[in-house]
Amino acid sequence: METQEAVAESAPMENHNQSDAKRDGQKKFTLGPNDSLEGKLTYDGHMTVDGGRAEGEFRIGGNIEIGNGTVVKALLEGSNVTIKGEVEGRTTARDKLTLGKSAKLSGDVQVRRLQIEDGATLNGYVRMGDFEHQAGS
Amino acid sequence: MILSTRPVAKRPTPPPADEPPKPTPPTPTAPSQPNSVTLGPRDRVIGQVYIEGDLRVAGVVEGEVEVTGDVEIDEMAKVKASLSGQDVNIRGHVNGSVVARKRLIVGRSGSLIGDVRVARLVIQDGARFSGKVAMGAAALEAPAKAAEAPAQAQPAVVVLPEEPPELPAPVEAAILPQVSADGKDGKDGKDGKAKGKVPPPKGKAKAR
Repeated sequence: METQEAVAESAPMENHNQSDAKRDGQKKFTLGPNDSLEGKLTYDGHMTVDGGRAEGEFRIGGNIEIGNGTVVKALLEGSNVTIKGEVEGRTTARDKLTLGKSAKLSGDVQVRRLQIEDGATLNGYVRMGDFEHQAGS
Repeated sequence: MILSTRPVAKRPTPPPADEPPKPTPPTPTAPSQPNSVTLGPRDRVIGQVYIEGDLRVAGVVEGEVEVTGDVEIDEMAKVKASLSGQDVNIRGHVNGSVVARKRLIVGRSGSLIGDVRVARLVIQDGARFSGKVAMGAAALEAPAKAAEAPAQAQPAVVVLPEEPPELPAPVEAAILPQVSADGKDGKDGKDGKAKGKVPPPKGKAKAR
């Protein structure tokens, strides 16, 4: 939609009032419908993409949530990853990956636990287990 | 201990006794009455299985399983086989590829290792799953045919119908190499007799 707009690196939070809200002691930021994030992000709070555009590589210490109707092209890594929108890219959930009814995920997946709801679409390799190797790429 | 969970299971059955109720001989026409096969917890099938109707497994299955209806793998089941069916419901252990023309469900007690081609997929929390997922009508169409082709090439055979009980050992022996070779080797050797006996199952599979 709004193409090559913002190149946010690691600290897009100042744009958002919701950001840095302390929720159970953890930081959290939300990418709204008019926001866009492109690049590499390493962040130790929770991340929510709800509408908006996100592209790149996101390594998140907390949980990731990709809302309904959102399109994300990125490598995702987080503790619990919940996808209700569309994701293209490798996804790693250190704990659990949840694909909601409307989710579309194409890309390889590494998870400890996996839940896929009826209606979700997944294309890619799934590897499940505790993490011997991760990180790297 | 096995006694506790055996819904449809037959206790005093020798494995071969399972099969007779479903003679799947040369009737390529649509099966008039729905057919359902249950393999109890102590039953074991090794080889190629083609069933027109539903299959429920509580025991051990190794080889290749093609079912026109639904497949249900119970909790205690151990399956080392490629499975194909409409709805496939896995609550036990499965090692092998799965094709579900409708929907694959891996229950919370289920574990599946193998590649999967499905129209729809449900994985419940707690289930174990590793493998490649190809999903959607497109994923099913093209490759499904490729997978079906070898199955048709030597369809009959197998442990199924009214083989007398003395046979199991030789049958197994004869079938095993074929299974491991994934049909390629077995084709030459077996095809001759297999072909005449059972017509290609494809037509009905589609019709359903």
